[in-house]
Order: sequence, then C-alpha cells, then structure tokens
Amino acid sequence: MDDQGCPRCKTTKYRNPSLKLMVNVCGHTLCENCVEMLFVRGSGNCVQCDTPLRKSNFRVQLFEDPTVDKEVEIRKKVLKIYNKRDFDFSSLREYNDYLEQVEDIVYNLTNNLDVENTKLKMEQYQREHRDLIQKNKATLTREQEELEELLLLEQQGNEQRRLDVLQDEQRQLQAKRKNKQALLDELEQSQLPATILLAQHKVRAAQLETQIEQQKQTVKPTNLFSTGIHMRQTVSLVAVPKVEDVLFHYKPLHVETYGPPVPELEQLSRVGYLNHVRAAMPQDTAGGYTSALACHRAIQDAFSGLFPLKG
Amino acid sequence: MFHNSSQRKYWIFKSEDEVAHMRRKANQKFRNKIQESGKSAVSDSMFLERHEEDVLFRHYERRLLDFCNAFKPAMPKSVVGTALMYFRRFYLNNSVMEHHPRTIMLTCAYLSCKVDEFNVSSTQFGGNLLHETPAGQERVLEQILEYELLLIQQLNFHLVVHNPYRPMEGLLIDLKTRYPTLENPESLRKSADDFLTQAAMTDAGLLFPPSQIALAAILNSALRASLSMESYLTECLGLKEDKDSISKMYDSMRRMKTLLKKYELPKADEVNIYKPRLERIHAQFASSSNKRKRGYEDDSHVAKEPRLVEEEWTDEDLM
Repeated sequence: MDDQGCPRCKTTKYRNPSLKLMVNVCGHTLCENCVEMLFVRGSGNCVQCDTPLRKSNFRVQLFEDPTVDKEVEIRKKVLKIYNKRDFDFSSLREYNDYLEQVEDIVYNLTNNLDVENTKLKMEQYQREHRDLIQKNKATLTREQEELEELLLLEQQGNEQRRLDVLQDEQRQLQAKRKNKQALLDELEQSQLPATILLAQHKVRAAQLETQIEQQKQTVKPTNLFSTGIHMRQTVSLVAVPKVEDVLFHYKPLHVETYGPPVPELEQLSRVGYLNHVRAAMPQDTAGGYTSALACHRAIQDAFSGLFPLKG
Repeated sequence: MFHNSSQRKYWIFKSEDEVAHMRRKANQKFRNKIQESGKSAVSDSMFLERHEEDVLFRHYERRLLDFCNAFKPAMPKSVVGTALMYFRRFYLNNSVMEHHPRTIMLTCAYLSCKVDEFNVSSTQFGGNLLHETPAGQERVLEQILEYELLLIQQLNFHLVVHNPYRPMEGLLIDLKTRYPTLENPESLRKSADDFLTQAAMTDAGLLFPPSQIALAAILNSALRASLSMESYLTECLGLKEDKDSISKMYDSMRRMKTLLKKYELPKADEVNIYKPRLERIHAQFASSSNKRKRGYEDDSHVAKEPRLVEEEWTDEDLM
C-alpha cells in the first residue's frame, strides 16, 4: 500500500502508514485529511476529474486499485435492482444471458460508456419487474438473517468455551493457593515435625497436579463429527459405475527424421565415431560435457532430412 | 532438429518457380499499394522490374556478406548463414522498393547475432559501421531497432534457421568412421566449404534441407577430386534397394549445382543504374511510414513526437 499516495498531499501517505485512502463515485482517491479539508462544506468537486461530489459518498478504500472499489460500489447498486436468482430462470442459457446483461451494465457504468442509455435501461427494468424485485429482496433478507443467526450461535459457542477454560484455570490457581495456605497453617499449629509436614504437602501438591492433568485430558463426549454427520449413522455411498474401456497399450514415441537412422549416444564410441571428434578438455568435462554429445548432435543434423520425400 | 522445425514446414518450397512466383507477387503487391493510395505522378516505368530488383538484391546480399566477414569480433559461420537466410526470406514476401535493403541488411545481421547467441552489444555492433561518426552510428542503430520488429513479423516469427555447416561436419565424421574407402575426407573440406558459401548466395536454402545441401557439397568436391563416392550412398546410408530415393537425391544435387552455376555477381554498371531509381522510389513513397515505428502498425498508443526528417544515410556510410 505504500506505493500509492494521496494525489493531493502526496507525501502524507508515506509518513503516516495508518492513514486511510477514501474512494468516491468517480473512482479517484483522497486521503482522510484531504477529504476533511476539501469537503468541509459537505460537497465539492473531485481534484482529478472535476465531477461534483458529496462528502458522504466517500468510502474507505479496500482495494489497491481505486477503479476496483468504484466498480464494487456500482455493482452493489446494480445488483439491488437486478436481483434475480438462478431458479427464476427456466434454462441455463437464459440465466447466462441475464448475467451477461448485468455485467454489461456494470462495465458501462464503470468505464463511463453510454451512461445515459444504461441508466434508462436500468430504470425501465426496475419499473417492469417491481414486484419480482420486492419478492427477491424479501427472500434475500431472510437468508441473510438465517446466516447471521448461525454466525451468532457459533460466536456464542466460542465465548462459552473461552469462559469455561478461564474458570477452570481460576479454580486450579485457587486450589494451589489453598494448599500453600494449609501448609503454612499446619506448620504453625501442628505438633508434627517440619519435615513430615513438608512431605505431606508435597504429596498433596502432586495429587493436585495429576487431578488437573486428568481434567485436561477428559474429552467431552460428542455424537457429531465435525462435518455435521451423526456418529453411527450409515452414509450411503452411491456405487461408482464401472467403466469398461480399451486397455491402454504403450507405444514408444516415433519421430520421423526423413533420413538414415542415427546411432545411439552410447554406441558412438564403440563404433568409432569419437576418434574423429575433438576430445573433451578437462575444463569441459567439469560441466558434464562429453565429446559424444557434440558428435551425436553433428550426426543427427547430418542425417535429418537427408532423404527426399516419398512421392 | 530440422525434421520438426518451422524451416521444414514453412520455408522449404517445392521449386524455383514457386519462389519466383512469390517474389513476383510481392512486387505486384507494392505496385498495387502505391497505385491505390493514389499518389500523384505515378508512372509504371518508375517501378522496378523483377530482374532489376534481383540485381539490387544480390548486390546488397554481397554487401551483407562482406559486412559479416569484416565484423569484429569474428562472426561464426552459422551467424552469417542465418543473417543471409533472414535477408532472403524477408525479400520473398516484400519488395525491395518497399523497405530499403541497406537497413534490412543490418537488421538481419543484428537479429541473427541475437538469435544465434553470438553476444554483441548494440554499441559494439554500431562500432562495426566503420565509415560513420559516433553520432551517425547512433542514428543507424536507432533505425535498426525500428526495423527489428518488422523483420521478425515478416519472418512470421520463425527465427531458428538450420544451416548446412554442422551437417557437413557430421557427414565428414561419418565418412571418416564408416567409409574407409575414402582415404582422406579432410581434403574435401575446403572445396565443400566454398560450395556451401556459394550456395548461401543462392535460393538453395529455400528449396533443399541443409543436410542435402551439405551432402551435395561433399559429393561435388569428391567429384572434383575424381574420387568416387557412389558406394557411400548405397552402403552406409542404407539406400541399396531404394533406387527411387537415390535418383531423387542425385536429381536434387544436379538442381543445386545448376543454381550455383546460374548465380552471377551483380554487375557494377547495372547496379549504378538501378540504385538511383530505388532511392527515388523510396524518397517518394516511403515518407508516409516515417512517422510511426515500423511494425507497430496496430498500436493504439499515442505516437511519440513525430520524427521530423529521417536523416538519410547513404550506402557509403556502411562500409
């Protein structure tokens, strides 16, 4: 984020990494301070493109590229109107066409192409499908509420667990303190010699420790796997259909060289080719070079394409 | 390797006629382009004919060869071969009148150094343009860089060129190993080398695979030294039963020899007539493409400040 600066005061972003950039509907960014200064009266013009803006339209930038933020805002607004779902359509093709329509609108508005027509289209759609929009809005809010309830439950569960753990710790600490206090009391009052008392105290402390360990290790019995399936519930697996196919036979790769066959790299020295090639110097062999490599390449090049094409 | 290279698939043609046809098409295309753009004072006699273009092509090809041979540090043969092949392929589909050969020739050399991994920095390359001042060298380099993309485009991005030099080495090794009948294959090397250099100045590279050219070179020099190598083909290359292939191979070699014989050095007086005409054509018709970078025709960027007058540098500045 450091490479982006506020276009107006430029240096302030580097000096103050906690400073936030705000984006408006025209897609240009300004840091918080500049927003305060320029829009002290509530409305003004953008620094870079001179479009009239309101202070309330500034939102904290979430993405590095301000055009992305602008698009996100526009998309939210468009989707409020175009909120049909996949089961509202009778075929996949229609759904895809609808989605493409939505994307076109978002694209046009983001890149300021044909804004007038696009807005007219949106208004027309809104008028035609007013009821459907309302209905979908209702279903959407219901789903969101359900999601939120689940989230809340989860959070509460987490809280509960945290509190339990804290309470356990507290109890353990108290038990230890009581033990120590008991030792001191006994040392004061009892008649027994100090060594015996100390030994007794040690035994009691050890017992406490083992008790704590055992508590930590007891697993709370559950009857649910983490994926939500009940234990001891038989999950039926659909039988995998058996596919009968032709057995694969390996055929080695054959490359047509249009020439006589080239001896293998390993055979070269045996046949006697290497006698006629410059031997590898010790420096060359260090890198893995052998004279057979150069020889093989020369022979390959000599034989490749040597024969004329048939026909 | 050559057998699955782009050279075999796209840049080996069936006959000299096909190659001549492509060149004629390029010439015609340029003529049509100029006539359609409706420039005034266009007469058919201004354009160069095919044979005149050929003379100029050969002249500049010679100069490219001399430039590469005089290059410091010494350019390996494969780099020279690649540069000549690029030059030849470029003018297969483009007319000499459209892009002036002197810049294309240097661009071919420059590109070939890069592709063949003969590392020369652009300043070092410019340093080889001996008759230029350092400022002039800069200008030439700029022009080379402008033309580079155009050259690569016209080569259809097929930049790997297989030259016959390594196949020749391979054949000599094979002869020494498997063909004891021939006593001293090294004696064939010199004249085979000359054959290959001459072949690089002909269309042989566009018609035959490099291994066949190398074999032709060796057989030719054996013939000159009155040594018989018939049995090499039948025995070692395993073509004993394949009479058809043998006859075809001899046929190709005869065609290659004809190509070499047909090559004539460009005559100085002819060149002196055609060159000023070429310059005039370029001066008149090439001005429209001066403003933009060559090859970046579809660029929708804002053009840089238009180049004012393209400093014309002449041929003498090169060598």
